[in-house]
Amino acid sequence: MRSLVRAAFSSLRLTLRTRVVSGWMYLNWLVFPLIFAAAGLFVLSTPGGSSSRLVYGVLGGGLIGYWSVAYIDGGNGIQDERWQGTLEQVFATPTPLWVIILGKVAGAILFGLLSFVPTAALGYFGFHAVLPQLDPSRFVISLGVLTFTFFCIAITLTPLFALWRWAFSMVNGFEIAVYVLCGFMFPVAILAPWAQGVAGVLAPTWAVRALYASTMAEGPHDLVAWWLVAVGLSLLYLCGAYFLYALVERRARVSGQLAWA
Amino acid sequence: MGVSRIASEVAVFARSTYFQYVALFQWASVRGYVAYKILLPVDQMLFFVELGAYATGPENAAYFALGNALQLTANAGIFGVIATVANERHFGTLPILLGSPANRLVTFMSRAVVNVLDGIVTVIIGFAIAIGLFGLDLHHANIPLLALCVVVVSLSTAGLGLMFGSIGLVMRDAIIVANVIYYVMLVLCGVNFPVSRLPGAVQLISYSLPLTRGVEAAREAVAGASFGQVAGLLGGELLVGLAWALAGYALFATLEGWARRGGMQEAY
Amino acid sequence: MAMSAQAIEARALRKTYDSTRGVFRREKVTRVALRGVDLAIERGELFGLLGPNGAGKTTMVKIFTTLLLPTSGAATVLGLDVVKDEWALRRRIGFVFGGERGLYWRLSGLDNLRYFADLYRVPPEVSRRRIPELLERLGLAGRERDRVELYSRGMKQRLHLARGLLNDPEVLFLDEPTIGLDPVGARELRVIVRELADAGKTIFLTTHYMFEADAICDRIAVIKAGEIVAEGTPRSIKTLVEDQGVVEFEVVGLPRERLDELRGLPGVSSVAVAEHELAQLVTVHCARPSEVMTQLSAALDGLKLEKLSSREPTLEDAYVQLIGDAET
Repeated sequence: MRSLVRAAFSSLRLTLRTRVVSGWMYLNWLVFPLIFAAAGLFVLSTPGGSSSRLVYGVLGGGLIGYWSVAYIDGGNGIQDERWQGTLEQVFATPTPLWVIILGKVAGAILFGLLSFVPTAALGYFGFHAVLPQLDPSRFVISLGVLTFTFFCIAITLTPLFALWRWAFSMVNGFEIAVYVLCGFMFPVAILAPWAQGVAGVLAPTWAVRALYASTMAEGPHDLVAWWLVAVGLSLLYLCGAYFLYALVERRARVSGQLAWA
Repeated sequence: MGVSRIASEVAVFARSTYFQYVALFQWASVRGYVAYKILLPVDQMLFFVELGAYATGPENAAYFALGNALQLTANAGIFGVIATVANERHFGTLPILLGSPANRLVTFMSRAVVNVLDGIVTVIIGFAIAIGLFGLDLHHANIPLLALCVVVVSLSTAGLGLMFGSIGLVMRDAIIVANVIYYVMLVLCGVNFPVSRLPGAVQLISYSLPLTRGVEAAREAVAGASFGQVAGLLGGELLVGLAWALAGYALFATLEGWARRGGMQEAY
Repeated sequence: MAMSAQAIEARALRKTYDSTRGVFRREKVTRVALRGVDLAIERGELFGLLGPNGAGKTTMVKIFTTLLLPTSGAATVLGLDVVKDEWALRRRIGFVFGGERGLYWRLSGLDNLRYFADLYRVPPEVSRRRIPELLERLGLAGRERDRVELYSRGMKQRLHLARGLLNDPEVLFLDEPTIGLDPVGARELRVIVRELADAGKTIFLTTHYMFEADAICDRIAVIKAGEIVAEGTPRSIKTLVEDQGVVEFEVVGLPRERLDELRGLPGVSSVAVAEHELAQLVTVHCARPSEVMTQLSAALDGLKLEKLSSREPTLEDAYVQLIGDAET
């Protein structure tokens, strides 16, 4: 058990070391969220609009960056390992794949959290958008729950990328749709009913809803219920992940395709 | 210039276009094409249309749909051209192309042809989505003028793409810079809100990028403007694209000079 | 499966790969990589598996290292089933694949080793001692903090070997470890491999260089198209072609159909042609060299034969004989 924890930490350390020098990582945690935050803040601050909407610009860019890093990095990480020929090497070690991916995702989560720094700064300095109604303890718990949902989704998706390269481009194709469905920059309530239904089964939707509610005085505040739904859905994903990892380990050993660049 | 000379240049032009076509669809497998050419554009429009509707009211959805549909040309113009150049490098066809006695400027420019066509197709997909899903209304639009706007914008974004193609010869991460520019265009080019809302200095950047004037012209065309009313905008848009393409060529020629003197073997 | 005294054992090992071809009308294609291989390797042996590219060497190594599942048949390493006991087995074996891939180029050699030591679940107190020892032994000491991308090809390969030894494996698999190395680097690596075997490790080595197997292996098997066609010590394999001789000559402008005529001569088992500057160097393996030499001039009427000679077969010839004309 201790050796597995050590292996996960080693994988986390490796992720941090390789990502610190990766231009893509800076694109995803720094540039990309800033651009979305800027676009969002300009649109949301259109003259005549309600200033309470600005909070969506301030946090939205950060959420977009956080999500992108959390899940993309798993996919990119696997792709990198495939190119370098190390995917097969790590697969052949006595450490299960999920432990290695756990470390990778944890590294990505740390980078993803950085996204909130530039976007909050832009909101504050560029648009004087502050969060006067923020409830710090609820905000922190909501962010923790959100982190847990991202963590579980990334853990679940990454083995798919190991097995099918096209899965990554498919999921990438849905990337911005996730911003919409999970309510990163505007409430899910404005979407069509069927879209709200889809949004409801995505764990981050509930965590994001709680996060925004913790910054606003008005509106419903069933935060505890939302947290529980988010955590429950995430645990469901993990159950699916259990079978996915078994499938990946099996399929990889039948076809030997981890070795393909 | 003799007839045979022209014929040979046409042949080189055609062949290099064909190379690009092959290269372009090499990376775009069916699944990749669906993901990057259909899903992502729909997503992007969906996001900004919903955001705009939330911020400014549902009656403005078409404004955002139109802007983002046109911004899709940048997808083909920038990433497509970079992919074309990267493929030439990968397959080693670049020196062959340039070693030929054909007009080098023509050869250089021809690399963007397929991507201009691809850009036009992308925008048509974008318009179809904007009309079908987001209520873009073209009843009062000057359709031929709108079509002209699409062609001009495709040309000008491909011009910027040529610049990045040249940068890509020396910089491994040129594609990252291209990503930055692609998304910066969402903010700076009047795609989602008027350029006039940006700080003055930033507006200067807006007007030195392709798309800005083209989007303005297209909005006028949708409102029913005549050619004369937007000719200045379109002319400016073309000039901006040409300026970027020429800058790309100048950079390319400089890099090639270094490479031939042995300073930079890697460039090809 | 019962505990086996053998280090490595395979019974009727078979592996096929399925793939689909075509976009619209999907067609299933099955490729057979191993056609029922039986093999037993003793503990402490340095065993060489020889064969041309595509004969099934890598597939066999990947099955033994738990990276691939056999389609049918059984294999054990250290008495552990490669299909079911993969987690226990992975801790006790090491492997090195030839070529430069499989390392983190942007990290230092030391960081690569530390990472894999953790993945191999080596206790830190052990790896702290073992990593410097391996660096020293493999001639990487002093360069361990340089990024791997700055290493020479030989250094990368030695780093691979160090990685393969991190868990002090009882069995080490080396798949074409000298591929792409210059002669000096390849030779250094062979010396190290021989030393490891002398220190008691079981080593399973694949190669397509006959001399490599001849130089260091205790025992050899030759694989061709997924089947073992010969097995034994280098000396015993040589006896397979003892009654055979080799006739060599140089000729200019030999047409293809003449070559077929040569192959048709009585006693001739194989004919290989190598381009040698302007001329072609022809090697004929045959039962009765003196008879063949007299028939040559008739068969190649009109062509000028130079440097005509006959000699005793070498191990290389035995290999060529076993593999047939596959590589020529």
